[in-house]
Amino acid sequence: MASKWRDRVASLFAQVSIRRVCRLAVILLALVEVCHAANNCPWINEATASGLLGGDATGSFSQVSPTQPAVCTFVQTSEGGTRTLRIAVEQTPDFLARLDSEYKSCGMDPAPLSSIGNEARICNADAPKKLVAERVVGRVRDQVFTITISSTVKRDFTQNREALKARVSTAAEQISGNLF
Amino acid sequence: MKECARVLFQISVWSMVALSLSNGRIAPVLAQQSVPAQQDSTALPPPPAYTPAPKGTLPVQDTPEQREALGRWKARAEQKSAEDRQAHNAVVTPAYNFRYGKKSPYTPGNIQVQGAGFIQPGAFPTAEYCGTCHQEAYSQWRQALHSNAFRTPFYRTSVNILIRDKTRGIAFARHCDSCHNPIGVLSGALTEDSKVDRARFDADGLTCTTCHSILKLDSTNGNASVEMGVPSVIVDEDGKRIPGMVPFDMILRHPERHSKAVMHDFLHTPEFCAACHKANLPATLNDYKFIRAFTAYDEWQQSKFSQRNPLTFYTADFTTCQGCHMKRDAITLPDYGAKDGKLVSHRWLAGNTAVPFYYGFDAQLSKTIEFLRAGNYLNVDIFALKKSSEDKLIAPLGRVAFTLAPAETVEAYVVVQNKNIGHSLIPEVRDLYEAWTEFIVKDANGREIYHSGFLKPDGMLEPRAHSFTNRPVTDQGEFVDNHKVFAIHSVAYDNTVPAGRSVLVRYQFHVPADVRGAVTVTAKINYRHLRQSYLNNIFGKDHPAYPVVEIASRTRTLNIGENQPQEPDPADNPDWMRWNNLGIALLDQNQYAESVAAFTEVVKLRPTYVDGYTNVGLTEISWEKYASARTAIHRALSIDPNNARALFYDGLLQRRAGNTPEEIADFRKVVEMFPQSRDARRELGITYYQQHDNPAALEQFEALQKIDPDDLAAHYNLSILYRRMGKPQEAAEQQAMFVDKKVDPGAPTYSLDFLRVHPEIATESIPWHVHSDLPEATGDLAHGK
Repeated sequence: MASKWRDRVASLFAQVSIRRVCRLAVILLALVEVCHAANNCPWINEATASGLLGGDATGSFSQVSPTQPAVCTFVQTSEGGTRTLRIAVEQTPDFLARLDSEYKSCGMDPAPLSSIGNEARICNADAPKKLVAERVVGRVRDQVFTITISSTVKRDFTQNREALKARVSTAAEQISGNLF
Repeated sequence: MKECARVLFQISVWSMVALSLSNGRIAPVLAQQSVPAQQDSTALPPPPAYTPAPKGTLPVQDTPEQREALGRWKARAEQKSAEDRQAHNAVVTPAYNFRYGKKSPYTPGNIQVQGAGFIQPGAFPTAEYCGTCHQEAYSQWRQALHSNAFRTPFYRTSVNILIRDKTRGIAFARHCDSCHNPIGVLSGALTEDSKVDRARFDADGLTCTTCHSILKLDSTNGNASVEMGVPSVIVDEDGKRIPGMVPFDMILRHPERHSKAVMHDFLHTPEFCAACHKANLPATLNDYKFIRAFTAYDEWQQSKFSQRNPLTFYTADFTTCQGCHMKRDAITLPDYGAKDGKLVSHRWLAGNTAVPFYYGFDAQLSKTIEFLRAGNYLNVDIFALKKSSEDKLIAPLGRVAFTLAPAETVEAYVVVQNKNIGHSLIPEVRDLYEAWTEFIVKDANGREIYHSGFLKPDGMLEPRAHSFTNRPVTDQGEFVDNHKVFAIHSVAYDNTVPAGRSVLVRYQFHVPADVRGAVTVTAKINYRHLRQSYLNNIFGKDHPAYPVVEIASRTRTLNIGENQPQEPDPADNPDWMRWNNLGIALLDQNQYAESVAAFTEVVKLRPTYVDGYTNVGLTEISWEKYASARTAIHRALSIDPNNARALFYDGLLQRRAGNTPEEIADFRKVVEMFPQSRDARRELGITYYQQHDNPAALEQFEALQKIDPDDLAAHYNLSILYRRMGKPQEAAEQQAMFVDKKVDPGAPTYSLDFLRVHPEIATESIPWHVHSDLPEATGDLAHGK
């Protein structure tokens, strides 16, 4: 009886190529990492990010090295498209130059955003392919942060520029508060 | 290969479970989307039309159909509230860190909430909902510290230190957030793996429906010792609370029911404020022992404004916290809570200048500065001069003739009176707030002769300034510069001035030999909400300069040569009070002989002033000169035999003389007149205890503990009395509290460790000290070097 079961399992595995198993392993490990990493975002939790994105979001956190920006990404997917909250934080002794560089990349004339961190500005970060986005760039002491909410969803709150600005500002207050 | 497949299969299954649970957990919490905080009232919708009924009109009566409809609404609201709460708990509870056990989810805070489990943030109607009909209150609240209690960098920097501490973490932050962010605490958001959308409440700190949903004050222990009800904005005809928001027309039809739901009598009492304006650092937070953090409430209770303490130096009309910080002002925006066009201020004007400065709330900032300057809170008196060549005190300055010559070394006596603040100068987090005396001497050309209490170019206050602050230190003798309160083990010194008392600050300076014309001497009390080094901790050093407010000042001109008496300035205290304040200051600096001399000047100027004689007597008691103390107290009682203050000190003297019946009679009279006098209760309890009258002693100590739950004498004596009365459990509790609250006898060594390596401020720990820039007085420490 036991050998019969052993044969069946062996046959089952024989049908699955090693390549497929490895591909599955990579996907599963990535899934595990995403699930685990979601709770590791140091500046905002998944429930708060979900609230800002208007639906259940899945988050990930990565920090390759202390000299490179740490990044949290929360993605909320619906039938109409995807909404994303991306947070990048970099601690650098050259923070003023770094911030200046971020401001320059933040459109022509980013508007000052009061009472966020030491200083912050907000700008339109729309991208081709109908990606609507608002971005807040700022700093807390020597930590430079870039926070972007973007969306490919049509006909929802993200198409209302003021609503989108309000949400990215709220995100910025949450995140900068945790950076203090 | 087979093993690999088995592991992968297991991983995939658990991944799916984790994902589904994760989604399942957060779904109910997302029932409402995040609403960004409004910065002002401009985004509020216009209020619904409403014409208040004329005064004296009876509430409208509902028809049976309306009652039935309300009943249906209530049933639905209760069901929804219960279901939402259940769903919230199903998500939050499994992931919550019950650091202090399942029964203590909010420890180290004292806050509690009615009902089972955590309460969902959505149960709290938003400030914008309330603001629709209360636009004035909303706009004031939005700029006030209460609404910004959590989100400000000034708070976040502190609490983040606790959250990031390797041996503590976010669970410990419930201690702070119970007052700063109660919805966060009660919703179960303060845990490592939080499942709560924080954008829904973080920006509102103490929102309308936190204070207005509190149903019970548990005690005056502070640390948020309140019980929160399930928020409700209206009650039914039977007075039963209906949870959640209701349509505005329901409120406007029955404003009396709205008031019953949200306005409780205790909101007008200092005990309500005590819930958060009194705080301690419990062992559950610091792994050490109970340390009193601050208690504005007890300071008020001991002040003249409470009329509960017979031992104050001065008297005043009864005034609550709300009487100063929530005055009625004319409204400028629609507000249906206003009466006769006025509303109690929801700005809570006090000393909070940093928050409106950071947020750009200009109206709040200017009104705060106006409040600080307008209240006649402090009196600054350049009271006397003392030349190094003479022993005589030239006093009161301006009322006596004297001469001043070039090249003289002079000591100026500046008396700062905490005249009309109902708490200490400065109160509460006195390791962060900064008030100090600035003393400047200039010649006729404006040339600076002496300057103490200046700000250095880096914004720091020069270290040798006389500041009304304290210096908390760690068990390593290091200054706790960043409000890391859980590290505090001792206080190197505390130079705050209690309500109604005075402090003498002495400055020594040298009149230049080549001086021409008059010399001006100015003493100011400056205030900055937060110390520069703390601001640097928050923002780094490149932040803008935060406001420095001059609260009070006095300038006197000293002629080189003859000086004649002058008419007093309208803001000056009368002469007898100037002497009295000097006497109080000298008493607190243990200069008993000089203090008695000052109080003696008072009775010379006001021979019928009972307190003048009592002041002489109480100083002589401290000086252990009981015979002359008796003479002074008897004189006071001969003028007013029922003077509670004199009777109290007479009781102490009767005890000393062994006259127990007279001692008891004195203290009993004081207790009858001032039943909330903690000193009289304590002394009467001790007297009864010494007479082995255990029931009578018990009554006094239990009463004392109700007034002050932290009184050590009450804990100590009650532990003994309960044991004698066969109540071992109660005795053990009192004993444990005594041990926990008693000052660690080893703590002063931490202070000494700190002071030893900080000679520039070590003199501030000595009550009787002088500020000088003369080399013989300072060595090389002058001018902050």
